[in-house]
Amino acid sequence: MLARLAFVLLLAGLGLSPFGDARAQEQANTNRATDLKDRPAFDARTVAPLAADTAVSVISRHGAWTQVETGARQRGWVRAFHLRFRSTVEAAPSGSGGALGGLTSMFSFGSREAPKTSRVATLGIRGLSPEDFKNAAPDPAALQKLQSFRADKAAAERFAREAKLAAVAVAYAKEGGGS
Amino acid sequence: MRIPVVALALAMALPAHAQLDFGRMLDLGKKAVEVGQQVQEATKEYTTQEEVQLGEGITAGFLGAAHLYPDDRLQRYVNRVGRWIALQSERPDLPWTFGVIDTETINAFAMPGGTVMVSSGLVKRLASESELAGVLAHEIAHVVKKHQLSAIQSDAGWSAAATGAKAYAADRIGRSGGDVLGLKSQLANAGVDLVKDGLFLRPLDRSMEYEADRMGVVLATRAGYDPYGLVAVLTMLAQVKPEESAASITFSTHPSPTDRLAELEKVVPVDLEKYARQPQVEARFRQTLGKR
Repeated sequence: MLARLAFVLLLAGLGLSPFGDARAQEQANTNRATDLKDRPAFDARTVAPLAADTAVSVISRHGAWTQVETGARQRGWVRAFHLRFRSTVEAAPSGSGGALGGLTSMFSFGSREAPKTSRVATLGIRGLSPEDFKNAAPDPAALQKLQSFRADKAAAERFAREAKLAAVAVAYAKEGGGS
Repeated sequence: MRIPVVALALAMALPAHAQLDFGRMLDLGKKAVEVGQQVQEATKEYTTQEEVQLGEGITAGFLGAAHLYPDDRLQRYVNRVGRWIALQSERPDLPWTFGVIDTETINAFAMPGGTVMVSSGLVKRLASESELAGVLAHEIAHVVKKHQLSAIQSDAGWSAAATGAKAYAADRIGRSGGDVLGLKSQLANAGVDLVKDGLFLRPLDRSMEYEADRMGVVLATRAGYDPYGLVAVLTMLAQVKPEESAASITFSTHPSPTDRLAELEKVVPVDLEKYARQPQVEARFRQTLGKR
């Protein structure tokens, strides 16, 4: 607990928020040649073709489409599948000793090498830590409360109608794209 | 670390007076393992009721570590979204229960028997009901395919704990006694131990996560939502900064969002595109969360 607090204070001392700034623009690159569209739809007008590996800033998301701005200040929508994001976990080389270097090994009980970085840095900042689970006394009262929020079938159907959600019959996709 | 778990689970399967007798517990440990092996074969299949009981114990244990987010309106909202989607699944009549836990950690969990928990940290980062639907549909798919249950059964220690309790439950259910934790069954008590033993910290097979993604997209579509809510959520997760993701168990227990997007692109049926204009239901979502 003290160690965790110390880590948060350390971050504060460095002027870093433990949760960062959610509004900061994230960077991405196209992972193939694609089109910048003026709306999030296939039948939208193409604003500009984008070459593979074009760097863009991410503005917002809408279903399978991501709104971006190019270095040339062109704004539009790109298929989310056509982007590679930079701030992902694997961006930190494994075993680098960075904040994420130990994250995967932290929770696995297998053979991965132990993280070189401080374990405090890898988990539990106001979140759930392995210790929280290990030391937890079961809470049957909270279970009861949780179950009191259940929705029955009729309530769920009414709720769907209110938002004009209509059930449709769709088959599951097969592994490997139907092959 | 497995032996104490087996011993503990089987100690629970003993009369109450024996439970605190550690010396006896060690003596009985050997015999208990034999019993455990005997019941293992016979109890491979869980009835729905047994699955639900185990899941309730797991949830009770989970709620000992994570607290419910103090917003009853949000809790009921998430239950309606979740139940509506679950009704489109192959297990529409489970006692489906959905909850938001109070943590900035970005994560969601599925318990056997139909309980799904999502963190407030994740809910707050979502932009629409269709994104919430994508998250819940992924977890519902884990329940429909009994992924957690098979993970429990394929782990020797976990399996012994659960099957020991299951054999005991079959023998003694309906009688009083032995319920030291105030739960309804020995199976539920075993569920509590699984939580302590790291059930939520161990990843499921990657193939299970990919399967839940594939099915989740379809379940949300069946429920009438824009099919790509889950894709949008993965896009968001792919942008979470390392220092933020450090606060999350998600990234240690799931394949990377980028890998999941790449996998989904391969399998999402092209004809889902015709449902792309189904509603995202942004207004109701924002209103429920108090966003403008």
